[in-house]
Amino acid sequence: MDAMLVLQLLLGGLQTGAIYALTAAGFALIFGTTRVFHVAHGATFTLAGYVFVFAWNAGWHPALGVLAAVAVAVLFGIGMERFVYRPIQRHEGSFFTVFVAAFGVSIVVQNLVGMVAGRGFANVDTTLSRAVEVLPEVFLAQVFWVAIGVAVVLFVALTAFLSRTHAGVALRALAQNPDLIRAYGLSSSRLSVLTFALGSALAAPAAILMAMTTGLNEAVGNHVMLLSMAATMVGGVGSLRGAAVAGVLLGVAESLVLLVLDTQWAEAASFLVLFGFILFRPTGLFGVVAAR
Amino acid sequence: MTAIRFGRRGLLGSALAAPFIGRASAQGGDPYVVGTLFPLSGPNAEYGGVFTAGAQLALEHIEQDRMLKRPVRLQAEDTQALPQQAVVGMNKLVNVDRANWTLVGFTAVSKAVAPIGDRAKVIMVNGGAVGPDLSGLSPYFWNVIPLAHLETRALLPYLVGQRGAKRIALVYVDDPLGDAILGILRDELPKAGGQLVGSFSVPRTAQQFGPVAARVRQVRPDAVYIASFGAQQSQIIKGLRDNGVSQLLCSYSAMNLDSVRSLPEANGLIFTGQKVDFEGGDAITRRFAADFRKANGKEPTIYNVNYYNATRLFGLLGQQVEAEGGQLGGDSLRAALLKTRKFPLVGGTGEFDDAGNMMAAIEVNELRDGRLNRLAG
Repeated sequence: MDAMLVLQLLLGGLQTGAIYALTAAGFALIFGTTRVFHVAHGATFTLAGYVFVFAWNAGWHPALGVLAAVAVAVLFGIGMERFVYRPIQRHEGSFFTVFVAAFGVSIVVQNLVGMVAGRGFANVDTTLSRAVEVLPEVFLAQVFWVAIGVAVVLFVALTAFLSRTHAGVALRALAQNPDLIRAYGLSSSRLSVLTFALGSALAAPAAILMAMTTGLNEAVGNHVMLLSMAATMVGGVGSLRGAAVAGVLLGVAESLVLLVLDTQWAEAASFLVLFGFILFRPTGLFGVVAAR
Repeated sequence: MTAIRFGRRGLLGSALAAPFIGRASAQGGDPYVVGTLFPLSGPNAEYGGVFTAGAQLALEHIEQDRMLKRPVRLQAEDTQALPQQAVVGMNKLVNVDRANWTLVGFTAVSKAVAPIGDRAKVIMVNGGAVGPDLSGLSPYFWNVIPLAHLETRALLPYLVGQRGAKRIALVYVDDPLGDAILGILRDELPKAGGQLVGSFSVPRTAQQFGPVAARVRQVRPDAVYIASFGAQQSQIIKGLRDNGVSQLLCSYSAMNLDSVRSLPEANGLIFTGQKVDFEGGDAITRRFAADFRKANGKEPTIYNVNYYNATRLFGLLGQQVEAEGGQLGGDSLRAALLKTRKFPLVGGTGEFDDAGNMMAAIEVNELRDGRLNRLAG
């Protein structure tokens, strides 16, 4: 086996995995804390990505573009919580109703993005994504370090927030027992809004990195959503750390599988990993076995 | 006596319908239905817009020229370029809308709907898909675009002979179009003096092409042929270029999209397409080009031309059938096609063979700074 090819595929997989990890962590945070199956997380990703592309093409400073993308992602997440999920949960709140509503919103967003931004390929033209040969037959772009750096910094910050701040501890409590939260005089609805804001914000850097590396189209959110769900299950439902590690694992699997299989199987590798976990470790990497 | 009362909705509806009442009554009768089966959402939706723009302009010209005795209504169905959605759409067009004529695109979609059109004897005209097996799919299935084997045959002598690119790698989408191009390259490359050094299949939904680029680099090609469509083909180009594939990139007519033209990584891309002279052509071509620019504010592409021609052909054949006192159906329209064979279309006279394929000259173009330069053909 060509060692350089292994290294090349591993590095490519880590870059992709960092993007998956950010998206999956956002989804896992929302699902683990509020138990809302937020299928429209893919739409958050799409919106954030297109806002950054728009800002970039309009000549805005990249920092402003990032801020705008994060702001739109957060507003969309909060909007979903306040105007879609909460009214549904106020009445009957079945899983299926929430799923269909979120799915419907995703389709609307997809079509609106297509109407406004055009129904084609959109990307950010930057030299950050142009790989150069760093070792014989090994190409690496600067965006690799950006992706890894952003993912690490955000996970460290999020972990610190969840473990060292009152709001973070309250979020973890909400995930475990919403009734107890109310008994202590905390507002579960405010915490829910905070969860959606944080989870949605995580989708923005992932979308920006995707716009730089592979480009976007209006339907990109569907694909991202599938991978986020797979990563959440592989990582263990409710585990933020699990989703992040699983995201990286899926990205690396997608890439390394090309060592032994045809390129056609790259995407299937993620779902083979998922099936493997469902069969042999249904609780996922960091999941907890629930007693019946 | 009960007075007729108009509510706000009634008034609004009447106001919206008013511009069409005069035209409909002038031509009279129920409108003919031209159905479209294009992707209007999803990653291939850009094509839907391009295809529809050509068809709409042709319908405007059919109406302006009063070619038919009845008005024509465009009925659009969204296929997302997927066979399953296309079958649902085609069944609706055939059974509910009673379409007289349908426009299709994409190889997998065309193959999926052809049996339905065949059974219902509804004409299906393809102006966008290039799978070679679309020829002779049904007596009612016609092509106004040269199929992939013709495009590839035009490209390979140029690639091998003039560019010295003998070792070709193929990145192809896992669908009937990609499989067809793989077969053509396997057969035709050795005849042209070249060699297929690697073939890399990717799923339709694939987004990451960094790992594919690593595999492509390994086979050390002189050129890489890309056989995909929609947003994915731009992603493949960017994925290859960003990940160290600096060799010549080449493809077929599907690359003629705004999103590809504006992609910096696509600079130097070589691809084939039909030969059309918008400036020095005949009156029909010049009228098409002028009106297209006026309506859309940009230059027309080959796909605009193809679906204009596919729709104009309905006008020409319908006119012929109406003049002979017949009804517009699959059999009468097909009989008219086989009787006349040659039609004045955009790009010159379009001549059809027995299987309903229009013959067309093919050229090899290079994309340079967003513009196409003719290299051969």
